[in-house]
Amino acid sequence: MKSLHLLLLAVAIVVALAFLTFAPSRMRSWQSRFFDVSSPAIQAGAVINDRITKMNKGFKTLDELEAENAALLRQNNELRASAQLLNDLAAENRRLRDTLGYLERSPFNLVPAKVISRDSTTWWSSVKINQGFAEEVNAAQPVLTADGLVGRTTTVAKNLSMVMLLTDENCQVAARIEETGDQGIMTGLRSAEEATPQIVLNFLKRNADIKPGMKVVTAGVSGGVFPAGIPLGTVKEFRTRELYGQAVIEPAADISCLEDVFVVRGTK
Amino acid sequence: MIRALVLVLSAYLAVIAQDFLPAMPFFAGAHVLLLPIVVCYALLWMPFPGALGFALYAGLLADLSSLHINGDDVEIGLGWSMLYYVLVAAVLNLPRWPVSGLRWETHCLVSGAATFFLLTGQYLMVCLRRHFVFDLAVLGQIVGPALAALLLSPLFYFFFSLLPGSTQRFPGGRVAR
Repeated sequence: MKSLHLLLLAVAIVVALAFLTFAPSRMRSWQSRFFDVSSPAIQAGAVINDRITKMNKGFKTLDELEAENAALLRQNNELRASAQLLNDLAAENRRLRDTLGYLERSPFNLVPAKVISRDSTTWWSSVKINQGFAEEVNAAQPVLTADGLVGRTTTVAKNLSMVMLLTDENCQVAARIEETGDQGIMTGLRSAEEATPQIVLNFLKRNADIKPGMKVVTAGVSGGVFPAGIPLGTVKEFRTRELYGQAVIEPAADISCLEDVFVVRGTK
Repeated sequence: MIRALVLVLSAYLAVIAQDFLPAMPFFAGAHVLLLPIVVCYALLWMPFPGALGFALYAGLLADLSSLHINGDDVEIGLGWSMLYYVLVAAVLNLPRWPVSGLRWETHCLVSGAATFFLLTGQYLMVCLRRHFVFDLAVLGQIVGPALAALLLSPLFYFFFSLLPGSTQRFPGGRVAR
């Protein structure tokens, strides 16, 4: 019995090792197929999650109102909750109008997409969006919001894509300080004390005259993924390291709560 | 049989659901991982051949959902989680442990430990590929999900124990108490 178990263990290990020998392209194709199969479940999860989030927001607002207006009657609370719901709808309407406006005025050929989940991985930073190769989205295409760059696509399925965010240590972007022209490589930090990972711009000149508030945009190196001039953020702090200068960047787009994004398919 | 099918389905749902759980800000934005909790229950309950099959299946799901392919570079390739869960199955089933059988305390401790070692292993592999960084935030990102698994596992244990056949012996497996 024991020897049979050992044999089965050896077989299982061999199977696992066989998967490890896959080339990245084969792994991508397996992952793409997994996303295709799981897409309905993920989309359903996103809908449920959205409803729960909206419900929680409603409860929070009610709690705040109750704290501020302890003496108000129940009817008053209901009216206030209704007003809040209308405000939420108006805000959503404004956001969608902004989105539509950006789609029209952007110089890029964009595919609008919705963020449906944020990956639970610890050492990477990525989200899933509800567009894939059915809408001509491919791997390594820039993803942005009306405020600025967010990341780039990695694995693409039919109706779902994975986006590596700027806050990921592996997402490196050639960036330029707009005011001074200094160039460096922007990357996320694996370890950050805050819940939201930080972004830094490395390999700047040590004596560069960089001040907080200066704008950072993509440098657009030839053959690169990101076109030039997409806003990345503003300088929060500039510090000198042993060999180079490093700027801490406040991202232009709010990466911690992404909702609507665009995938860049090219220029118009 | 029903419990085995529910476990197979639960592993799939856990992989999907854990992406929707919010990050834990007090543990440097670490995420709650549900899959190791389900896997540990299955590995403790199933006979060794079944546990091996489940480990391969769950590992494949985990890898496919979290695989990060950056151009032609893959830091933790398809198959590592499979290998990890197969080794966990071997550790739980092959040696003779002083506490035998499927108990909620065992499930609780094993879930926490499996999550801790999974994240530590991933962290070391990422360090080999990039560079070594270790601080309180990294510690929180490893310990946080392990603690969450420790705390959540009794809920999963009692849910699975409610299923038909929970007090019966799985053919060749262990008795649930």
